[in-house]
Amino acid sequence: MLKTSSLSALLLVAVAFTMPSDGALAKDIVLGASVQLTGPVANTGRYYRDAYQFAIEKINAAGGVKVGNESHKLALKLYDNQSDVNLSVRQYTQLASQDKVDFLLGPFASNFALADSAVSEKYKIPMVQGGGASDQIFARNFKYIFGTLAPASNYFGSTVDMLKGLNPAPKSAALLYADDAFDVSVADGTRPKLKQAGLTLAMDERYSTNATDFNSLLSQIKSKNIDVVLVAGHETEILNFVRQAKSLAVAPKMYSFTVGVPSEDFRKALGKDADYAFGMTAWLPSAELKDRWFGDAAQFAAAYKAKFGYDPDYHAASGVADVEALVQAVENAGSTDPAKVRDALAKVKFDSLYGTIAFNKNGQIDLPQTVIQVQGDALIAIYGANRKIAEPKYPMPAWDVR
Amino acid sequence: MDLLGQILINGILLGGLYAVMALGLALVWGVLNIVNLAHGAFIMLGAYVSWYLYTYAGIDPFLGLPITAVVMFAIGYGVQRGLLNLIVRAPMFNTLLITFGLEVVLTYLAQLAFSADFRTINPSYAGNSIVLGPVVLPLARLLAFGVAIVLTVGMWLFLLHTKLGRAIRATAQNLVAARLYGVEPRHLYAMTFGIGIALAGMAGGLYGTVSQINPYIGAALTAKSFAISIIGGLDNPLGVIVGGLFLGILESLTALYVGPTYADVASFGVLVLVLIVRPNGLLGKAA
Repeated sequence: MLKTSSLSALLLVAVAFTMPSDGALAKDIVLGASVQLTGPVANTGRYYRDAYQFAIEKINAAGGVKVGNESHKLALKLYDNQSDVNLSVRQYTQLASQDKVDFLLGPFASNFALADSAVSEKYKIPMVQGGGASDQIFARNFKYIFGTLAPASNYFGSTVDMLKGLNPAPKSAALLYADDAFDVSVADGTRPKLKQAGLTLAMDERYSTNATDFNSLLSQIKSKNIDVVLVAGHETEILNFVRQAKSLAVAPKMYSFTVGVPSEDFRKALGKDADYAFGMTAWLPSAELKDRWFGDAAQFAAAYKAKFGYDPDYHAASGVADVEALVQAVENAGSTDPAKVRDALAKVKFDSLYGTIAFNKNGQIDLPQTVIQVQGDALIAIYGANRKIAEPKYPMPAWDVR
Repeated sequence: MDLLGQILINGILLGGLYAVMALGLALVWGVLNIVNLAHGAFIMLGAYVSWYLYTYAGIDPFLGLPITAVVMFAIGYGVQRGLLNLIVRAPMFNTLLITFGLEVVLTYLAQLAFSADFRTINPSYAGNSIVLGPVVLPLARLLAFGVAIVLTVGMWLFLLHTKLGRAIRATAQNLVAARLYGVEPRHLYAMTFGIGIALAGMAGGLYGTVSQINPYIGAALTAKSFAISIIGGLDNPLGVIVGGLFLGILESLTALYVGPTYADVASFGVLVLVLIVRPNGLLGKAA
């Protein structure tokens, strides 16, 4: 049993921890988010956790957020949704109703953002999210959702533009996509683009999310002798796809993937087999992208790597942009009132390490995708904004002559 | 026609991998009457053991399988002795609860220990293939298939002809009689579970050479193993390989003719059909 004295000492400690430590300063602005810290997509979820925390730390170190004449610090209330959509909806409801956070940051992935944005809309709390790109999220005339990922329907836009200039010209294409909100949007947007580019859509196949066996699809790609393979899916599926392509000796002229290629961990898992894979990113850590808090994108990338031990990709940059957009909007509005900040977000326009942040009337950003390719050990920017940046390695050679 | 041949080959090779994944589950289920929901988590652990052996000790994933088996056997023996023996004669619901809990714990410990990063066991020959006329045989899958056949037949012979194997079968058929003949059930259960987990671990090593490893692959593999055990029946290991091959071929053909989203629909649809028509499995005695 505890002695009375040690019990009261414990109580004292407990009271000390619960007391507001900065009573004299202005109230913190609390940002709430529920992110995949565990579960199957924890690997991408960590970008958002680290980006949110890093951005908040940096902004607080620079004096916080100016509302009128007062400086407010930012604080983060973060939950782990365990990669479970239903849990994430409950957590956002808790953030809005119980924790009464001031503003919301997003989860990763479109199906999460799709469900969670209903909560921000209901409670009229602005949510700026950098994890969901599906056009469906923004097609419902919601007023409180803003997104910093480029539209899913245009993910393959620059890739298809690039295809037109390749030699030998590709003739047939296969479009494979997982059955979730993001990948279905990608496929819907890509289909007409392929037709306009004059390619025959020889395969148009939807597969189950988390599928592990792609042998049937790959055998068909080989049997139909398809030139271009575009896959919209998740990193685990794409890892399996590439490994199985190699083991079945399936080598189309080129293949491109919506996710994975920009991520260091993905390239490491595939090793040499990642060579020649195309992908896309709306963000590259260029020193030309100036930022009020981080200097520029190159400095951000270096600081991020030093702090967390892995390279940031566009998910991380998008997460930082979300925090910055909210801060900018609060300062522009001169208020933390959710409705005023919402209106300020709709009009916001500023340069950041992620690019120019501005939202269209549906709340989504419009950023062009840059085509990237793994060439040897390096990730090379190939094609962006209607111009070639570097020479693609094309066509991809057969697996046994690499 | 070439395409169909290739698809059938794909299905058969996939089926071999499925069979070896389900072998341990079926053994434990048949003998201990425990539906081990943590089975997939043990496959995942075995995959990591093989990955570490390959990455840090340079041991070839196929040659390292015996080491993986020994490590996983020890883990399995310990888990049964320390935990599952408490509930071995308990109602089915208790065994489901405790193995489900074990699955959650193992998965989260794995994320803490190994991180959520993807891993692949990627020896230089992993992507090689043998070309036989119009069809391509992926080497790693072919090897995995060979290992699956060897393990299944080995398991079958072991159960038929060794003292321990007979004791395991005797316990499964009639516990009281087995005890009268001197079988010590607590040790025997632990041996059986250990063997089951060793098989799961080896399946994990094979899985890592053809697919990718992360802490969360377990649950889906448990579901697949469960379906194969039902389809093949629990009576004998040969049923499991029939179940695995059947499912592998079925999924490959479904993906070709109906569409890849329907592969799971087909396999679980067949599961339900088997439960209705032949509840003891395709090779089991008719109900």
